[in-house]
Amino acid sequence: MTYRTTLSRTWWLKHNAFKAYMLREATVLPLTFFILCLVSGVYCLWQGESQWNHWQTAMGQPWVLAVNLLAFFASLFHAWTFFQLFPRVMPIRMGHISVPANVLIAGQWAAVLSVMVLFSWLFWGKL
Amino acid sequence: MKTIHITRYLPESSEIPFVQQFDIPADDSTSVLDALNYIKEELDPSLSFRWSCRMAICGSCGLMVNGKPKLGCKTFLRDYQENITLQPLAHLPVERDLIVDMDVFLTHLEAVKPYLISDDSLSTEPNKQTPTQMAKYQQFSDCINCGLCYSACPQFGLNPEFLGPAAITLAHRYNLDSRDHGKAQRMPLLNTEEGAWSCTFVGFCSEVCPKKVDPAAAVNQSKVESAKDMIIQLFKGNL
Repeated sequence: MTYRTTLSRTWWLKHNAFKAYMLREATVLPLTFFILCLVSGVYCLWQGESQWNHWQTAMGQPWVLAVNLLAFFASLFHAWTFFQLFPRVMPIRMGHISVPANVLIAGQWAAVLSVMVLFSWLFWGKL
Repeated sequence: MKTIHITRYLPESSEIPFVQQFDIPADDSTSVLDALNYIKEELDPSLSFRWSCRMAICGSCGLMVNGKPKLGCKTFLRDYQENITLQPLAHLPVERDLIVDMDVFLTHLEAVKPYLISDDSLSTEPNKQTPTQMAKYQQFSDCINCGLCYSACPQFGLNPEFLGPAAITLAHRYNLDSRDHGKAQRMPLLNTEEGAWSCTFVGFCSEVCPKKVDPAAAVNQSKVESAKDMIIQLFKGNL
């Protein structure tokens, strides 16, 4: 005769490691809001000028800006966790030498920076 | 003196586990396993727990120390304040006191065929392997089958059908071995939902691993292998 403990709904509150994991996964919430904003923007653009202007007004509301700012920081936080895990999931060997984890992490941040610079140039035409 | 609270389970006298308190003398060298042996020898001979080597090799003395999976022999009372809580390993059925039923764990280990599978079983030639080839899997071969990673894994806690960290790590260890030719036999199981894909990279398994095996890395490397295998099967027309 044995007994088995079961996991409660609040299992993730037991350890800081679990809380950090749930925080990482929760970044999907503000990011979903950002995606919805983006998709609705494309739809409004398709509907015509007045709808597009309505959408722009809606996007300028302080709470929308705040949630989208949160989404921006959430995506950076998620990227930070992802970049830390990447060298463990995709270790890269070049001949006999394995590429150090910090080089892979730095490479990913460099890619993020390049994309940001590229889009800054595309949108504002200057750096 | 240190106070230790142990979750006890004596099925012949009670169906419900209970907590018993023990006060034991301790110095800087007293491990949790030393404390358990002191209790059994001096205070209560009915206390049951597993142990063997006392040096983090056999993997027998796994238990929860203040809610975290640990090896009793590698955990020292000096690192804890007054109150220490000992419980059996989480997510596994408890047989008695700190003894858990490891059957599910062992079944999962066996399922991944954790041995070298040869192309030619009649060959008597020794296998050759360079240090570079060995380096690819060596870290993952340090597992001592203690089961701490299963107690750390909420996905296994929610679904015991999940192969779990140690079994997938072992499968990956043999898949990476240049002497092995059994990857095609292991991949169908790793490709299932109960295989590598149940893992959500919580990462706690690697944090508690007493041998620094990093099972979370092995499981997620297996996901990459599983995805590659799916594409290969797709081109072969097997899907």
